Parts: sequence; C-alpha cells; structure tokens
Amino acid sequence: MTTVLPTHLSGPPMAVATRGIVKRFGRETALDHVDLQVPEGAVYVLVGPNGAGKSTTFKVLLDLVRPDSGSAEVCGLDPRRDGPRARAQVGYVPERLDWGYGWMRVGRLLEHHAAFYPTWDRQYAAELARVFDLKPERRFGALSKGQGRRVHLTLALAHRPRVLVLDEPTDGLDPVMLDDTLGLLAEHVADTPTTVLISTHQVHDVERLADHVGVMRDGRLVLQAPRGLMHTHLRRYRAEVPDGWRGAPELDGAVVRRGRPGREIQWTVWGPEREVAGAFARSGAVVRDAAPLTLQEAAVTLLSRKEQA
Amino acid sequence: MQISINTADPRPIYVQIMDEVRRAIVLRSLRPEDPLPSVRQLSSELRVNPNTVAQAYRELERAGTVYVRRGQGTFVAAVGEDDADRRDLVRGVAERALVEAHRNGIDAEELVEAIREAAASRDLPTLAQQS
Repeated sequence: MTTVLPTHLSGPPMAVATRGIVKRFGRETALDHVDLQVPEGAVYVLVGPNGAGKSTTFKVLLDLVRPDSGSAEVCGLDPRRDGPRARAQVGYVPERLDWGYGWMRVGRLLEHHAAFYPTWDRQYAAELARVFDLKPERRFGALSKGQGRRVHLTLALAHRPRVLVLDEPTDGLDPVMLDDTLGLLAEHVADTPTTVLISTHQVHDVERLADHVGVMRDGRLVLQAPRGLMHTHLRRYRAEVPDGWRGAPELDGAVVRRGRPGREIQWTVWGPEREVAGAFARSGAVVRDAAPLTLQEAAVTLLSRKEQA
Repeated sequence: MQISINTADPRPIYVQIMDEVRRAIVLRSLRPEDPLPSVRQLSSELRVNPNTVAQAYRELERAGTVYVRRGQGTFVAAVGEDDADRRDLVRGVAERALVEAHRNGIDAEELVEAIREAAASRDLPTLAQQS
C-alpha cells in the first residue's frame, strides 16, 4: 500500500455495490477492479475526469454494458441476470442525449414512460414538468442539451425509484435552472426514501447535497468515503519548518500532496488532525493551519496527484 | 430567521446550521416556542442534503436548544437561566478568532489586547473589511 486513502465503506446495507468490476474495450482498460459501494439512503457523488470510467460504471449497473469480470448488485438484484427488474428500481439520466425516441413529442414520451412504471406519480410528473418548463408539443430529438436533460430528469424522478443514477445531471443547465434542479433534488430526497448516485465534473454544484464521495481516475477508485470523514481527515496543513528540515517521516504514505519546499510548507495529508499535527511537531515543524478542503479542492488535489507507486 | 451557509467555511455544514440557529436565538429573531423551518423546507432552500439539516436539528435538540413536538415539528425551547446558547455562540466566535490568530502567528494575549483597542477606537472597521 502506498496510500492510506480509504476506498472501502463498511457498515450499512448497500443499495448499489460492485465487486471487482473489470471492463476492457479492445486494449483499453476502462474499469480496473472497481468496488463501488453506495449505502442505502446516501447521496453519493462520483467525481473524475472524462474517460475515468464513471459512465461505464453506471452502465454496468443498468446492464447496458457487460463487464469482463466482477459482479454488480442493485437493490439486491444482479443486473446481468435480472436486468428488467433491476432497471425498474432505477431512475436513470444518461450522459448522452441521443437515446432513442427522438421522433416522439415530449408529452407522448412522458405517457410512454409512465406506462412502464407502476409507481409513476402523475401529480409529481406534472409538477416536475412545470418546474422544468417542459413543452409537451416539442419533438424530443429537436431539444437543446439543457431541455433534453430536464426531460430525462422528469422521466427519472417521476416514478420515485429506489435508486437514482444521474450521469452528469446538471450538464447543460443554465444557472437558474441548475439552482432549481438542486432544490428539487433536495426535496425529492426529503420526500422519497431513495439512494442517489451522481456523476459530475461540476463538483461544486452538488457539494451541499453529497454525503458520500467517490473519486475515480483511470478506471480505479482512488478514494471512497463519507463526506464527513473527508472533512475531518483530509486537510491542508501550513507549517513553518526549521532550516534544513528533512520532512516528516512518520507521515510517509499519508501525504496526498507536498507543496513547494521553503521555510513555510503547505502539505495536504490524510489522517486524524491530532495525529498529523503531532507528527509535524515531532519533525520540528510548527503547524499554523489545518484547513478542511472543499469538495472541489479535494477532487483537484486527488486527481492531479502524481502516482506514487 | 435567515440561515446562510458557505461550503468554503471550515465548519461542516451541519455545524454552520446549528450556529445560525443559535445566532437567530441570540438576536431574538427566533424566540421560545417559535417553529424552525421543516427539514424539507430548509434543505430545499439551502440546496443541502436533508440528512444534514436533520443532523443539525438532532444536535440542537440534544443540547436542549430546541425540542420536537411529535407530528408538529421542531420548536425553540424556553431559554434557561444560564443562557447556554449565547455562551456557545460567543465561544464559537472566540475559537474562530483564536484559530485565525494562530494562523498569523499571533498569541491569545496579543489578540485580546488588539480586540480591546479596536473596540475602543472611534472609527470601527466596516463590515466588508473583515473578509
């Protein structure tokens, strides 16, 4: 182990879990032993750059992509054997909009969708259509990115599924619509017992909603943890160090990022603050600051981190 | 009562919500027996996870600041003689000032002295200067 970053959750029952998922496209390894763990009732945000494997992971959950090895579970069902039943539990917003039915008008598409879901809530669907300002007469295939996203969100939320899988749900939304959508998601979580899995580049958008975070890079989860644990354990330390300081050997493996050397240093370290500060002190450094990171800062720090293997 | 939170603040969001409720009580914009907004309402307003709001309310209940009436919601408790909310709020402000002082290499004595001087001087800093 070269890192102490947590990648496994323990405890509560998982609404969504994968075990050792591997997926190759030709010579490219898209997913490299992914163990995604989304506890029941969580709002889990999966962060990572383009091509990290977020969308592919989501597609495995819906049996839209079959892994080369490993297994997945959604509400206790194996999507590979029980695809239709697993999908019935899930509201899915796909990343890409070219998703069939382009010829249908929006109103017809909603009706069409409603017929498939016994739990479709007509009143709620009408409310969502109003907030999202959907135009039933418009042809689905002719909508802009943001309009299409709003239709997909309506389709995903209106049957109040046990699991929401939202792939870049805020992509293409204007600032006001984005804000309304976040309010709607908060209300949805308050009203409906549900588990939410969101992927995004715009971490800041969903920072206040997230209670679990996964950070994905090159088909691997480099961190998976409750937001509260990240808040207490991932900190940016500023410290004054004596001339000729040789570092803090006790912290080897726990340092996520070392800043520029100098009389004052700035290191991002994983660990309980007291222990980390103690290790700095024993090395001769005087810690001035131990600041928690915003989700955005944490994502940038973890994703731009050089591989230390 | 107006609750505002900031994701760049070092305090976790549930602590910020608790501090905002205490602040409203100290400022008397929230008074005993006033209802707090429902978890759904506040989480929707702040775009915050409802569990985070619920956590803040639970902690405030445990501290005796608010109480829950089954099926009706959360209400501000009658103020005790020791005025614990005010003490907690003052302590929080003081701790944040100490952390900021330590970051700047200033010890507690220097800070207290500087606060007395600043408070005594006629031209108080404008609020915006503090950011």
